[in-house]
Amino acid sequence: MILLSVRNVHKRFGGLHALRGVNLELEEGETVAIIGPNGAGKTTLFNLISCEDSPDEGEILLDGHRIDGLPAHLAAAHGLARTFQNGRVFGNLTVLENVLLGAHTRLHGLTDPGSRLAGSVLAALREIAWSIIQPRRFRRREAELTEEARDILSLFGERLIPRLHQPAYSLSYANRRRTELARALALRPKVLLLDEPTAGMNPTETEEMTEIIQTLQRRGQSMLLIEHKLDLVMAVADRVVALDAGEVLVSGRPEIVRSDPRLVEAYVGRRGAGHSVPDSAVTLQKQA
Amino acid sequence: MSARVRFFSRIRSVSLASVVFTLLLTSCGISGTSTTPSDSAAQEAKSPVVIGVSGPLTGDNAEYGKQWRKGIDLALKEINANGGVKGRKLEYVFEDTQSDPKQTPAVAQKFVADSKIAAVIGDFSSPASMAASPIYQRAGLVQLGITNSHPDFTNTGDYIWSNTSNQKDDAPYLAALAVQKLNKKRLAVLYLNTDWGKTTTELFVGKAKELGAEVVVQEGYLSNEKDFRPILTKARDANPDALILISYYNDGALIAQQRDAVGLDTTVVAIGSVYSPQFIKLGGEAVEGVYTATRFYPGDPRPEVQRFVQAYQKEHNEDPDSFSAVAYDGVRILAQVMEQYGTDRKAIRDGLGSIKDLDTVLYGKASFGPDRRLQNPRFLPLVVQNGRFELWNP
Amino acid sequence: MWDQLLNGLVIGNLYALTAIGITQIYGVAGVVNFAHGSVYMVGAYIGWMAIAWLHWPLVPAILLVLAGSAAIGLLVERAAVRPFARAGSTILLLTTIAAGLIMDNAAQIIWGPQTQALRSPLPQWQFKLGGGTVSFLDLFILAAGVGTALLLHLFLYRSRAGWAVRATAQDREAALQMGVDVNRVSSLSFAMAGAFAGLSGLLVGLYFNNIYPTMGASATLKGTTAALLGGLGNVPGAILGAYVLGITEAFSVEWLGSSFRNLMAIVLLIGVLIFRPNGLISARRALNPEPTAGTFIPHGRPLRFPRWLLPAVTVSAMALPLFLSNPYPLQVLAIAWVFGLMAVSLNLISGTTGQISLGHAGFVTLGAYASAILTSRLGLPFSLSLLVSPFLAAAIGVLLCYPALRLRGQYLAITTMGLGEAISLIALNWEGVTQGPLGISNIQPPGFFGYPIVSPAGMYLLAFAVLLIGVWVVHRLSRSHLGRALRAMREDEVAARAFGIGLARYKSIAFGVSAFFAAAAGVLLAHSYSYIAPDTFTFALSIQVLTMIILGGRDNAVGAVAGAVILIALPESIRFLGEFRFILYGLLLIGMLRFRPYGLFNSAT
Repeated sequence: MILLSVRNVHKRFGGLHALRGVNLELEEGETVAIIGPNGAGKTTLFNLISCEDSPDEGEILLDGHRIDGLPAHLAAAHGLARTFQNGRVFGNLTVLENVLLGAHTRLHGLTDPGSRLAGSVLAALREIAWSIIQPRRFRRREAELTEEARDILSLFGERLIPRLHQPAYSLSYANRRRTELARALALRPKVLLLDEPTAGMNPTETEEMTEIIQTLQRRGQSMLLIEHKLDLVMAVADRVVALDAGEVLVSGRPEIVRSDPRLVEAYVGRRGAGHSVPDSAVTLQKQA
Repeated sequence: MSARVRFFSRIRSVSLASVVFTLLLTSCGISGTSTTPSDSAAQEAKSPVVIGVSGPLTGDNAEYGKQWRKGIDLALKEINANGGVKGRKLEYVFEDTQSDPKQTPAVAQKFVADSKIAAVIGDFSSPASMAASPIYQRAGLVQLGITNSHPDFTNTGDYIWSNTSNQKDDAPYLAALAVQKLNKKRLAVLYLNTDWGKTTTELFVGKAKELGAEVVVQEGYLSNEKDFRPILTKARDANPDALILISYYNDGALIAQQRDAVGLDTTVVAIGSVYSPQFIKLGGEAVEGVYTATRFYPGDPRPEVQRFVQAYQKEHNEDPDSFSAVAYDGVRILAQVMEQYGTDRKAIRDGLGSIKDLDTVLYGKASFGPDRRLQNPRFLPLVVQNGRFELWNP
Repeated sequence: MWDQLLNGLVIGNLYALTAIGITQIYGVAGVVNFAHGSVYMVGAYIGWMAIAWLHWPLVPAILLVLAGSAAIGLLVERAAVRPFARAGSTILLLTTIAAGLIMDNAAQIIWGPQTQALRSPLPQWQFKLGGGTVSFLDLFILAAGVGTALLLHLFLYRSRAGWAVRATAQDREAALQMGVDVNRVSSLSFAMAGAFAGLSGLLVGLYFNNIYPTMGASATLKGTTAALLGGLGNVPGAILGAYVLGITEAFSVEWLGSSFRNLMAIVLLIGVLIFRPNGLISARRALNPEPTAGTFIPHGRPLRFPRWLLPAVTVSAMALPLFLSNPYPLQVLAIAWVFGLMAVSLNLISGTTGQISLGHAGFVTLGAYASAILTSRLGLPFSLSLLVSPFLAAAIGVLLCYPALRLRGQYLAITTMGLGEAISLIALNWEGVTQGPLGISNIQPPGFFGYPIVSPAGMYLLAFAVLLIGVWVVHRLSRSHLGRALRAMREDEVAARAFGIGLARYKSIAFGVSAFFAAAAGVLLAHSYSYIAPDTFTFALSIQVLTMIILGGRDNAVGAVAGAVILIALPESIRFLGEFRFILYGLLLIGMLRFRPYGLFNSAT
């Protein structure tokens, strides 16, 4: 079953035509990697899928519903969770609070946006009242979620569990990225969007992250992944989509895409301009 | 930050905090030294009688508080030179409130708790004064408002008095001046949109219409307004034959100046509050020919006025204005009441109600009426000529 | 019609002078400089001394003003800006306010509080244009404004120093790494802005023939509004904003009346910001770039107390009236408790949610008026009104603020300032309901079941009880998922939204709950004062409440209350200093922020 489909999407920023008719589909349980040189439009595409921004043309469907143009917080309610390129944890919140926040949309009956004006006012008033009164089922739910957050964090072994109550700003860079992933998982997303999950990580940490992504795959998590490190892409991706200058250049199974001459040309052709070949050795220098 | 710097900054923050807390404790502790009523009478006879003054010495209204102080200082000097009150020296404590309603209740409690305070003068603005009134009323301490024209000011209770008119005399007098004496029939009224300005304007307009004039423009402006060209353009377009200003001297002078820029050259008639040397200093040539009517005028030939003006000039090297005059009167009214009825708080209240023929600068011989305000103010019509306020005799 | 247009242009001319200076400082230091108006005032006084005392001609007087106010600008930078450069714009907003407070009070002591005449030595020549006139001074001011803007442009884009200023404005850290001496750049900018502020003060003083120590406040307000209209940091935008503001004001006087002038200015500001959140002239950027990693500002180390201390202090505070017979300290503390309630409520907006609000007085006014009207017109008892009025005020407050909630940072801060002002202007103009400038008097004292509470001890306990309820509710909210969501918005709005936190909804919740308790404080004050007027709760109050939470510690209810107690009791306890007390107050404020920028009590996460 197709979970996410992007149909003929265009995006312009002033004179820049950042995406030119991109098509993309994600099957349930599938992992698709998006690769491409800098400026190819990968993050723009992510921003459109996560409704951070809306496309100028085309449509995006999640589970058969159109989501393009929705406010970002409603996209989250539809089951989209993302991580950010440079990591955006909530610095002065603890690790646990960061992860619990990921489950925000799952506090059913409490954080529902409410429809129409009266509905949304009532929903907001109800949310305030319950937060003050904190009935028992409310506290029980918090406790369950806390347990669940611990489970999610235990995915990273002993990296985060001992730091549960530390503020996120005190974490190492890699641990912040892990916290961010844990937060995204707490949403129980239908589709998980990972924007360079191993950027800035050393080989050991990258290896660890690869294993975690594989674990998630085994659990049936559907994922869309932007990544530069080709080793990781080869290890986890079911399919690869290569973007260049806002267009899909090649797509297909990883080993086929990798050897496609057009891809090599896209990278090598620009080498003079300082862009890197998608080679794990070279990409390490990117974004320390 | 190095550990050492951090250490020192912590030390400093701790000491800073301790300074603050010490100050707080001081405020709660030392100020709690209220004398008990059981003070011996002998001690009381020697100790001075103290008037509390609650008013602005800093903030937006500081200049009025300073004018008050000059009037009060002069009054006390004269009273004490004549033996004080009941043989005791008369003094005052001026507490700065910035005319801020958050500070006046605290000052009121401070005065109430201090048994040395016999009566209180102040505060300046209506919100500040009236926020403190319930406290004075409940505690039974006279609050004499010297600039409080708000019609409800004295309604809080029988301890709240004022030697300022609530405008029910000033405004009709001005209306008669404009309509009858100057024969103006199309009036453009600009007023300061405060409780005072609004009340005065309504009284003025009522009387002017009664006398057969037409009010072609009636516009309030905000108290921090500086740019009057738009409002004057609007007034000009209504084609009035007189411009009426219900203003203070600062904004009055600004309006008079900017009149020229929009080509509005009608006669200007302004309420008595513009009477101040400042009005001429700020307005310059633009205020030439402005008519006003005031309860206080240094050129007033009445002997009590001449005596006050000369004494004031000698003391402060300048002409008094109406703010220093009301403060001067306020202190002297309290002194006369205390001399005659005693310095007990309740006696002062009773005395204010019964005393007749108080000696005042602004009202001449005057008495308080049932509304706890002085009755029968007198007015003098003035006109600005050659950079001076002159008596105008039509 | 044309005459009003001319009037608008003439006053817009004056607004442009301040707007340019404010926008320039924002461009470089990233802060709306609230001391700008005070430098402007000092400049006017320097010019006045040169012209009225020394009888200097205009040109040397202007040179003296430029030099003197540049020095003052430098002083402000060294004392109130540079030491706090890394502390973030909220702190800078406050330190510049404190610097302004010190200057205004010092000016009052040095030159006296009265208005001084500053007669223009320029030719009194003028020409007629329609029904109005344009004077030589108008043209001189126009030339000064445009001339300075041009000079500034040349400096920024043609000189090496200007290049450094622009680089610093774009990215302070990067400029520092590229070898730009950012301190020197900062000094240079403040000196230039100071010189310009002083010149504006002098010219405006000449225009009105009128200068006084607090003249800076309204100049800052108008200048900031104009700068915001044009887009902060944008000099041509500031000039355009100033003219648009002047013209709007002139026509609102013509069509609605002079009392509506400032109200319409605020409506204009909010209207423009709704459609163009970054001002009239600004490149619309679709998305802000993602922040690079590692730029967190940690909240610092909280003070730790033994667990028993807080309950112990609470109980002793409750028992205080038993031991203290003097009503004065009780009254001071009762007012401190009410202000504590305001601070705790504002903390929800500014501490927890991270939105600077400068309009808290507006919510207090709403509550006070709601209760005054309900009890005196509809005969509601106080006890019922204490419940109903805050709900009413919260509903109106959220409704008014809703359009502004999508604005960010200092744009929101200044818009809330306008909204607070707007609420008191509505109270002034809606005479049928609010009795306009007369205000509402004879409001019944607080009381329950027919028993009035009038003793200082009673007021003290009532205020303390309401404060405790407020603290308890805010604490519960803060500990729930809601508090987590609000803090997440403070940390990173984009990430929070990506996890389902609708910004408008949760900001509305924060503003609503906050307005509720601010209004409750307003109800208490209205009934204890017995009289309220449109100017009872002013902008100064909003600033003071914000100061309380920054002093006490953001996102910390205990800190907010402590800040309130300090800031209410401190001016009382230094009464003996007379005119000097607000100078000391300003100095203490800057000192506190210097050594404990995140407040005495910190957010304990």
